[in-house]
Parts: sequence; C-alpha cells; structure tokens
Amino acid sequence: MAKVLIVDDEPHLRLLYETELRRAGYETMTASNAAQGLEFVDTMRPDLVVLDIRMAGMDGIEALQRILERNNSIPVVLNTAFSSYRDNYLTWAADAYVTKSSDVTELLETVKNILDGRLAARS
Amino acid sequence: MSGAESQLVRHDIVAAGFRGSREPMLIVDADGRVVAASEGLAALLGLPVDALPGEICADWFLPAEALGGCALLGGCQGGLQRQLHLRNVHGDLVPVEVTCSSFQAEPLMPGGEGEADGPDARRHCYFHVQDARVRQHEDQVRAARLAKLPLLNQVSEALYGAHLTLDQILQAILICVTAGQGLRFNRAFLLLVDESGTRLRGEVAIGPSNAEEAARIWHDLADRPADLFEMMTSYDQSIKNTNAAVNAIVRRMTVPLEHDEHLLVRAMHERRVARVTSDLQWPGVDELRGWLGGGPFAVAPLTIRSGPVGVIVADNAISGQEIGDLDLEFLQMFANQSAAAIENSRLYRELEKRLVDLRRAHHQQKEDQQTLLRMERLSVMGETSAIVAHELRNPLVAIGGFARTLTRNLDESDPNHRFASIIADEVARMEEIIHDLLDFIRPRKMLRQETVLDALVVETAERFRAELEGSAIRLDVEAGCGEAALECHPGEIQQVLQNFLMNAMQAQAFGGQVTVRSTPVDGGLKVEVLDSGPGFAEADGKRLFSPFFSTKPTGSGLGLTICAQIIKAHGGVTGAANRPDGGATFWFILPLPRDAG
Repeated sequence: MAKVLIVDDEPHLRLLYETELRRAGYETMTASNAAQGLEFVDTMRPDLVVLDIRMAGMDGIEALQRILERNNSIPVVLNTAFSSYRDNYLTWAADAYVTKSSDVTELLETVKNILDGRLAARS
Repeated sequence: MSGAESQLVRHDIVAAGFRGSREPMLIVDADGRVVAASEGLAALLGLPVDALPGEICADWFLPAEALGGCALLGGCQGGLQRQLHLRNVHGDLVPVEVTCSSFQAEPLMPGGEGEADGPDARRHCYFHVQDARVRQHEDQVRAARLAKLPLLNQVSEALYGAHLTLDQILQAILICVTAGQGLRFNRAFLLLVDESGTRLRGEVAIGPSNAEEAARIWHDLADRPADLFEMMTSYDQSIKNTNAAVNAIVRRMTVPLEHDEHLLVRAMHERRVARVTSDLQWPGVDELRGWLGGGPFAVAPLTIRSGPVGVIVADNAISGQEIGDLDLEFLQMFANQSAAAIENSRLYRELEKRLVDLRRAHHQQKEDQQTLLRMERLSVMGETSAIVAHELRNPLVAIGGFARTLTRNLDESDPNHRFASIIADEVARMEEIIHDLLDFIRPRKMLRQETVLDALVVETAERFRAELEGSAIRLDVEAGCGEAALECHPGEIQQVLQNFLMNAMQAQAFGGQVTVRSTPVDGGLKVEVLDSGPGFAEADGKRLFSPFFSTKPTGSGLGLTICAQIIKAHGGVTGAANRPDGGATFWFILPLPRDAG
C-alpha cells in the first residue's frame, strides 16, 4: 500500500485529505508544517508528498526544493489555493500542481496517476 | 552827415540785396514807381525781374485805389495789411496779401533832383506780397489733418478692441484706406509676410473694378455718417460683390523676401512710405504695374517692433486722381496703426489659444487625477477582496470537502444525504465565484509579443559578451534567421539563451570557443549554443533537463529544467548533444506561426 505524506498547516484540511486518501486506499501520514514534512520524508520514506505552498514558517516552494535535494525520485504534488503559483518556475519541478477545491476528485486522480505511473515504470 | 541823415536807407543797396529773393517784395518811391523788386514778385507777375524797376506798381494790383491810400498819398504809417489781387502778365488774378511799411530813402543820385524835394519826396514804401493761394492750401491741409484725426482715433480704438478677428481687421484696414471718410484711395491691397517668413503674399483687397461700380459705391456712401462701425458695415455690404476683380489681383501678388531690392520689400525693410509715379524705374515696379494696371500707386509698410509684417498698396486707378503728399502722410500714419492692430490681434489670438490649451490641460489633469484616484481605490478594493477571497478558500475546502464525505457516507434514503449534498453544491458555487473573482483581479500575465528572433539572439549574446571580459573565451554570433519573427515572451527566451551561454562558459573554464547560431528549420527557428568544452557523459544526456540534476558541484540543478519548461510552454523543444569533434551543443527550436508558413 502506497504511503502518502500530507503537508498542510490547516488541521481540518489535513483531516479531509487524510479521510479521502485513506478511503481511496492509501496509507497516510500528516505534517502540520514544512519542517516536520521534511523530517517525515527522511524518516518515513513516503511514496508521494501532497504539499501545501502557503504555510507559516518554511513555505512549500522551499520545502519542494529541499525534498528534491534529498531525494529527487519522490513525486511531489503541490496542492494550493493559489493558482498564481503556477507561473512561478520554481514550482515547475513538482510533478503536479493541483488547485485546492472542496471537490477532492482532482487531487485523488492526480495522486493515483502518478503512483500508478511509477508502479508501471518500476515493473 | 546829420543824425537824421544817418537813418536814411541806401535803397540801391537794398534793391541789390533782395533782387534774388524768392519772397515777392518790392520798393516803390513816393510816385509809386518801382525802385526795386524781387525774383519772387517777378515770378508772380510772370515778368523778368529786370523789367520791373520804373514800372507803376498800381497797375498790377486790384483794386488800385486800395494801394493808393498807402504809398501814393504818402500817408502810409506802415504795418498796413490788405487783401488784394495781383494781375499777372497772362491777365490772371492771383489773390495776395500785401503788407507795407514806409521809410525815408537816401536819394539815388546825391545832389540830384530828389535832394530838393525834401523829406516827403524821399519817402519810399516797402511792400511784402504773399501769395494767398499758398496760405489757403496750408489751411486746407491743416483742416484736412484735423478732419482725419477723429477717424484715425476711431480706427485705433476699434482695431485695439481685440474683438475683431484678424480677417476682420484686415478688412477694416482696407475699408479705411478706401472709404470716403477715410483715406479715399480707390483701391487697396494688403500683403502680409506669410507663415514661413520667406515671402510677401497678397491677402485681401478692396475696390471697385470699374468706373460704374465706383460711382455706385461712392454714391451709396456719400451721405453716410462718419462713424467707423457704420462705415465698415455699410461699406462692407456695398462692396461685397465688387471685390472679385481686385481679389483676383491680390492673389497673384507674391514677392519673395530674398528679392530685397524689390520696391515692396525695400519699403517694408526701410519702413518708408513710397509713391510710385508712372515714370519711376525701380526693381519690382514693372511687376507691380503689371498687377495694378500701370497708374501711380502708393506703398506703405506695416511694421511692428519685432519687424515688418507686410505692406499696403493703394492707388486711384478709377478716378485717376493724383496721390498727394497728404494722402501719403495719412497712409503711413494709418499703416502704422494697422500694423499695431495686426500684431495686437495676433498676440491676442495666441494668448487665447494658449488659454484654451491651458484649460484643456487643466481639465485633462483633473480627469487624470480622478481616474488615478478611482483606479487606486479599485486597486485597494481589488487587493482587499483578493485577500478575503483567499482566506475564504481554505474554510470552504474544508466545509465542502466534508459535506461531500458525508454525502458519500450517508444512505441516499437518509434526508441528511440530501442536506449534505446541498452544502457541497452551494460551497462549490461559492468556490466558483471566488475563482472568477480572483481570475478577474489577478493582473494579466505579460503577453507574448511578436519578436524578431535574431534581434533577440544578437542582443542577448552581446550582453553576454560583457561576462566574458577577461576570460579566454571567444564568442561568435551567426544569426541566420533574418527578419523571421515569432510569438514569444522575449524575456523568457532570453533567459533560456543566457542559461545555455552560461553553461557553455562554465564548461570551459580555461578558455575556448562559444558559438551562438540561429537557423530556420522546418516549421520553426532553431537556436544552438556550441562550445568547445569536454562535452557530457552520454549516460547523463537524458537527465540533463530533469529537475535538480547537475553535473556541477554547485548550482540548483533547476537551470536547464526551467529552460525546457519555458521552451515547452512556447510549444517548442529543447535538446543537447555532444559534437563529433569535441564540445557540446545545447539547442532549442521555437515554432513559427502557422500562417507564416
């Protein structure tokens, strides 16, 4: 079962994503800030990271670079309320960019596509 | 000699003295015989001066008795003044004023007959004769001057009023030159220095074209009051249809200012009024005669402080009347005033125009200021709503997200299923509104623009040349796409090329050759950066454009990734290859717009 790390400083959103990803069959873990997220990337070796951009402290863009510096094989999905980050080339290194919505279908599909693709590539 | 004798006058000396004088004078003896006479008198009589002595002067004056009471009767007390007539050799009567005074004269021949006659016999009379016509003429001139002064005054007041347009002023000037109460010229032409300042150009003219017209106009105007405004309006109406001929003439009148000997140019520069008689020869006069018809005419310069502005040409082509000194004098006076009025009007218009410009600028500024304020307010509102909208997004995601979760968890028969689904739908609607709002507020991305690729390539390469200062790297630019243009974001393409160049430079730290080359390829334009460095390991070839891959000890490893993303966003492709004879090539191809082939 693939492990998905959710990094978001909004507890209710973490709960929502956790609920929905679990229902979709993934193992989940959550971090409430970027620093904790980086730590979990090292210690828990997730298969995919769902990363919020606007967070107190270190933001998601910096976190993205640090994650890729440690392990650039981990796919990262940027999940943000701000579609404007799409224009920031620093976000282009992410595998996907999803605009936050109460309809989590897009997020779930994106996660699934990436993980299925990895699986297919590995086998 | 006794004391009394010393007062005697040697009239032979006096006679010799005033013989040559142009003043009409004579001395007669007690018998009324001329003892001495002047040239002036001889001229009045039409006789040679030498023929006068010995004549009886009473024969020349009418009525003769008038003179008799004076000299002939020996009772002259001097200072007598009489209005008489003098009959000249042709029988004409010339009005004269005669002043006389008597004196004792020394006998012509000492010891002669006069000696015995005693003091009365030695009484002589001196007459000073003045031609009354000259005096009358001078009085007339004075009267004429006085008569014109109120008019000139009116003209100046009217012209300075600044309520007239330049055209109206020009018209008024010409009316005054020609009108009965004005200067009484038959025709007047006005020429002004044109805007280019290189020539005098005929502007407007006034005057009848033939004697019948003239008679009608002058008859119409004969009894008009002398008020300038009435004169102008009435004259304007009666000549309205008669100006065609003179205006056809004035339109032909053009004199280049460089022709400085030309009568008009000269008159203007010397600020002198000129009278041209039929026999005068002068540069430009024949040309003027050609325009005006050959008769005499007068020219008056229009001059203001800053220099000449034009000339008035006036003549009496219809009546043939001579142009007198007085006419000339008035024309000059009037021209001076007209020039001042023209300048005044021009300055006034200029001021008026500037005022309008200022008003407009002021209005514009006010509008701009308001627009700016409005925009500022809008921008603040926009920013505020953007912040609010963003802040609302996360809670909405939670609300709607869980409502969907609930919907899924509840059985469809459960009424709460419907309620949860309503929450989810409504939140979706709110999210849509927020999305639209943010989309609207967010400033548009910089648009792509049509760009000549080679220009961009050359500019970027040249800018990069500065980085090579002091290094042993040679940079060549081979731009081969000519004027081919494509739609792109020039700053981004520049960033890609710069990145390639920087890589090429870093690949050969100890010097070498870098070439930037652009070439047209099928459907697009290709830009290559070739270096003479060590190239890259074939195994790394595929990962060169992957994120965070770097063969360099420093660097984020994002450079080439970003390059690839930029080119991809432009619909192009990137690539890298080792060159067969050493070094590496990094390239990108951008598509040409389809309609451009």
